[in-house]
Amino acid sequence: KQHLYATGQVECTRRATLEEVRNRLDYLRALKKQQSQNLEYDITKQIELRKQ
Amino acid sequence: MSDRYIVDRGIVHGAKSIHDINPATLIEKIVRERIYESLYWKEQCFGLDAATLCDKAVDLQFIGGHYANQRVSPFLCLTFKLIQLQPEEEIILEYLNQLDFKYLRAIAAFYVRLFFPAEHVYSLLEPLLQDYRKLRLRTTSSVKLTYMDEFVDSLLTGTRVCDTTLPRLPKRIALEDMGKLEPYKSPLESDSDSDSDSESGGE
Amino acid sequence: AKFASDNQGLDEVDDTDDLDPVAEREAWKERELARLRRARQELEQEEAEKEEIENRRQMNERELT
Repeated sequence: KQHLYATGQVECTRRATLEEVRNRLDYLRALKKQQSQNLEYDITKQIELRKQ
Repeated sequence: MSDRYIVDRGIVHGAKSIHDINPATLIEKIVRERIYESLYWKEQCFGLDAATLCDKAVDLQFIGGHYANQRVSPFLCLTFKLIQLQPEEEIILEYLNQLDFKYLRAIAAFYVRLFFPAEHVYSLLEPLLQDYRKLRLRTTSSVKLTYMDEFVDSLLTGTRVCDTTLPRLPKRIALEDMGKLEPYKSPLESDSDSDSDSESGGE
Repeated sequence: AKFASDNQGLDEVDDTDDLDPVAEREAWKERELARLRRARQELEQEEAEKEEIENRRQMNERELT
């Protein structure tokens, strides 16, 4: 990768649009929500396990 | 003067100049060198665009500059990535104004302070003085607790934040005098009038 | 997880919000008030300096006439 810099090339990335950024953030929000739900689910499962 | 920049190890190629300099040089050379050497940069930042950068930013654990053995923080790596990407202003505002991911907001605030004109720095960042969510601030010696409002305050009043020297920012009052800014109105001011009276009774 | 070893010491500082919303808001109020006080002091100091300069200018003029 160093040689790319040396030749003056910057890695070519597409420019993301505002819409893509918004979609990405929505996706990440959904992911976060799901993760926190899973976490709660795990905890209740743990508690149940302990009761046994 | 050419509108293209000499590429010094990946410095922004043909980027529009901000504050009349190549934007990448706002991050000090030694920090840039360390960014290029860092594992986080090589493994996590390659090929990111303004959308996928969010993935990394929402996972950030702390803000800061250098830490541990002169390692450079992912926070600075992502900021530097943004500098290379030069996203449209509206994308930065999207980062800044979303409320779900505080570390993404912190990056956006830092970026705004580095690159936006002074009056926008104030008008965009001052509302964040009401965001009191917690942030970890990691320095070479320790991990400290700070808050978004404290971080933003340091951006507005400090000269060096996260091992980066901030561009000069005119005092708020100077911009008010020029009519570019309205006086700052704190949400506390209406109910703090009573106790400010007791303090300034000398006139 | 890849950077887990890198994250030593982070656990000591908890950045979870809303663990105690009332106290967190109160702490913010303190900070905000301190900032307002600081801004007011700066303003007062600046005005005092301006006044000082004006006084000196007038004194010089009196001496000249």
